[in-house]
Amino acid sequence: MLRASAAVEAAGIPSSSLVCDGFLGQGATTAVGLGLPNLPMAAVPGHVDTQTDNELRDNLTSVTLRAVIENLTAAPPAAVMIPEPGPQDVVMDGSFEEINRFFYENGWSDGLPIVPPSREKVERFLAFTDLPAEHEIGKMAPDNRQATVWNVAVNGVMAGCRPQYMPVLVALAEAMCDPGYGVEHSGNTPGAETLITINGPIIKELEFNYEQGALRDGFQANTAIGRWWRLYLRNVAGFLPHQTDKGTFGNTWRVVLAENEDVLAKIGWPPHAADFGHGRGDNVVTISRFTGGDVIASVFGQKPEDMLPYLADALISQTGWQLIFTVGMADGSYNPLLVLSPILAETMAKAGWSKDDVRQWLFENARIPARKFEQYIVEYTNFYSGGRSMFELAQLGKANELYGTSQDPDRLVPLVCNPMDIQIAVSGDPGRTNAQVFSHNGILGFPTARAIRLPNDWQNKLAGAE
Amino acid sequence: MIGKTSWPVLNERCRVSEADSLWVLLPTGQRASGEWIDDTLRARAEEQGLLDRLTQVAAFPRQRVEVVRGPNAGAEVNETFYRRGWTDGLPIVPPTTNRVDGMLRAGGQPRHQVLGEAEPLKGVVTVEKVAVNAVMAGCEDAHMPVVLAAAAALLEPEFNLRGVQTTDENVTPLLVLSGRLAKTLQMNSRFGALGPGWRANAAIGRAVRLIMHNLGGGWPAAVAFAGLGQPGRYSLCLAEDDEFNPWESLREELGFTVDDDVLVVQRAESVVNVTGGLDDLASVMASATSAFSRMHGGQVAVIIAPYVAKMLADEGKSKAYVKAYLHEHGQCGAAEFEKSWLPARLASQTKWPRWVRDGVARDSVPAVESPDHITVIVAGGDIPIPQCAYLPTWGFPPCRIAKKIRKTSV
Repeated sequence: MLRASAAVEAAGIPSSSLVCDGFLGQGATTAVGLGLPNLPMAAVPGHVDTQTDNELRDNLTSVTLRAVIENLTAAPPAAVMIPEPGPQDVVMDGSFEEINRFFYENGWSDGLPIVPPSREKVERFLAFTDLPAEHEIGKMAPDNRQATVWNVAVNGVMAGCRPQYMPVLVALAEAMCDPGYGVEHSGNTPGAETLITINGPIIKELEFNYEQGALRDGFQANTAIGRWWRLYLRNVAGFLPHQTDKGTFGNTWRVVLAENEDVLAKIGWPPHAADFGHGRGDNVVTISRFTGGDVIASVFGQKPEDMLPYLADALISQTGWQLIFTVGMADGSYNPLLVLSPILAETMAKAGWSKDDVRQWLFENARIPARKFEQYIVEYTNFYSGGRSMFELAQLGKANELYGTSQDPDRLVPLVCNPMDIQIAVSGDPGRTNAQVFSHNGILGFPTARAIRLPNDWQNKLAGAE
Repeated sequence: MIGKTSWPVLNERCRVSEADSLWVLLPTGQRASGEWIDDTLRARAEEQGLLDRLTQVAAFPRQRVEVVRGPNAGAEVNETFYRRGWTDGLPIVPPTTNRVDGMLRAGGQPRHQVLGEAEPLKGVVTVEKVAVNAVMAGCEDAHMPVVLAAAAALLEPEFNLRGVQTTDENVTPLLVLSGRLAKTLQMNSRFGALGPGWRANAAIGRAVRLIMHNLGGGWPAAVAFAGLGQPGRYSLCLAEDDEFNPWESLREELGFTVDDDVLVVQRAESVVNVTGGLDDLASVMASATSAFSRMHGGQVAVIIAPYVAKMLADEGKSKAYVKAYLHEHGQCGAAEFEKSWLPARLASQTKWPRWVRDGVARDSVPAVESPDHITVIVAGGDIPIPQCAYLPTWGFPPCRIAKKIRKTSV
């Protein structure tokens, strides 16, 4: 919301942003990143969702209104630059324990020990990219700080990465800065966490785990790169809990999911990155934010027709409020991810099913009654107010036409607007018939892919790496 | 296999180095927008020619914690903090992470909780920043709930912190602790209650000053232009004496129970010694109340010696009687009022409050609007000598803020 106010202020029009009490701190820090640290805000006491109409009216007239008038009639004071250490400054000299304590105390670490990012260590990372250290990748909200190859490497050292992970980290930073991803939403209250998926020969070159325990810690490439993601969000983008990160619960960063490309090649299915225009054999990272999901254990059956009803049911059971990303907020941006263990994918492929056939079946069969859909987006969450049915919304062009075919509240409607909105990846224990569904965070972390650019002489450099 | 005995071995290098270093939290204020108030203060200090004394204003790492290396790290912190403008001129206790952590445990409120913004430079008052300043002031951990209550009181709009910090008058917060906690904390309410010598009185009052100084930015001669200041600006903090007070306690009078611990905060211009009883107090009230105070109305305070209080109580006089008596007799004549500085020179056109105009009309101008605007505190040494005090006030609006102190397990 503040981004809209900032745009309005930039156009020379006074603004007043109504902000609930609990969000004032986040508002103030976000405003700094928007370049308008004095963006005028008017506090709304408590949280509006839990107040009666009368309470809300009283709060607005007794507290908020006065601030709105002041905001709109007084010129906000001019912005002041906030100094911070230079990107290459040595900020601390001391023992391993001291440096760790120092970084933690100053909010630069996630609480686990970091590898002290000495100049020498950072330079070893820089050797694995052809880009200059000062190369600018992009600026990110909320701190509006510049992502550079240098600070990618600094956080890579800290996260416990190896120097040769650098090409992956740079690609991830580029994806993070892609406007289509929407990094600025990373502090929203559902607190979704990004899942990085990776494709290409680099999976084996960097020894990513892509088999049993694919989402478990214990494999340096998967684990350290996953940790780098969160450290980079903290130290460069500037998402800090209790300040700019309002995730109600949040969860720990996720380890990187590498696809089992041997199995994909065997069954002739395209890699996950193909959904984003990349070919087989391309090194690609894909990022997407997910709020939750679950393992779908013991998918029983000898043919796709036996297995798919359970998987469709899993998509339904792991999808609730997220339907606001199908209709309501940023329509058609809900992209759940279904991860199949290799044996499930192989069984389907053996029966002649392509990945798109699976998606098409799931699209047609993972459906819920329209009244249930409306309950999520209107009655339960109030995300879509106004009391219009999805039929009416579709007639008005405010929902995909799929939802406007009938007025019957019991008609079955899809969870997504397009079969291609269902992402499918293959990984995990090759011999176990389990799957996993991730519930997606829509436009607030939209699937975004980036090709990994390897440095010249990659193979030799890799051979010389530790 | 790691044997059982090898587990707790410490890294010797690390131990030595940590013993020589102080990990201190920065006491200074950051606005909600992220700006450090020191950058504003540097400009003001430069304008006012203060940089020859405060040689390191705004020269500090912009982060939460700083490491100061030994072997004289304590002295180094003191010198650096003084030169950065972060002290009241006296040595401070280095606010190390572990000292601040202890203070926070005793305070029982979350570290990052925001209590408000301190005027006039709007440093964000977090519980952690309060703890940092409390450590620096020399507080014990157990003082923290009182300091938190005081900080909350300062941030109440009616305290008018902006006015208190920037006025040319010499006003300062008066802190009165009413409750059994005073005894637990060894806060003095008897001989020498206004100092020196008792840590609770000295350190809690000082913590409040450092909070005003470091979070509000009330630096004398840079932002605070009190003509003289006053010794009470180092600390003005005492306890009400439960045992010698013959009347209902201040906390009960203000609607709390006798079992509550309550901090009462109001504004005081100075402490005027009055040796005598009610008539002597009334006479001082009449003459020592400035026209400025009358213009804005305010809550003044009187400290009544145990001996005087007992005498009055023995005569059957209630606290309400005392207040009414002081109000009725602490009045000056119209001529005296009119020839005083403010009405005569500066405010001849000012529309005075009705109660003042009425007082002029009947040739008897009270010190305050009503008896309730007098706070009565019983404190002092238990001797048959009437050592009382009058504390005039300054500023708008009238304020007597009572904050219940959170009970904690410490």
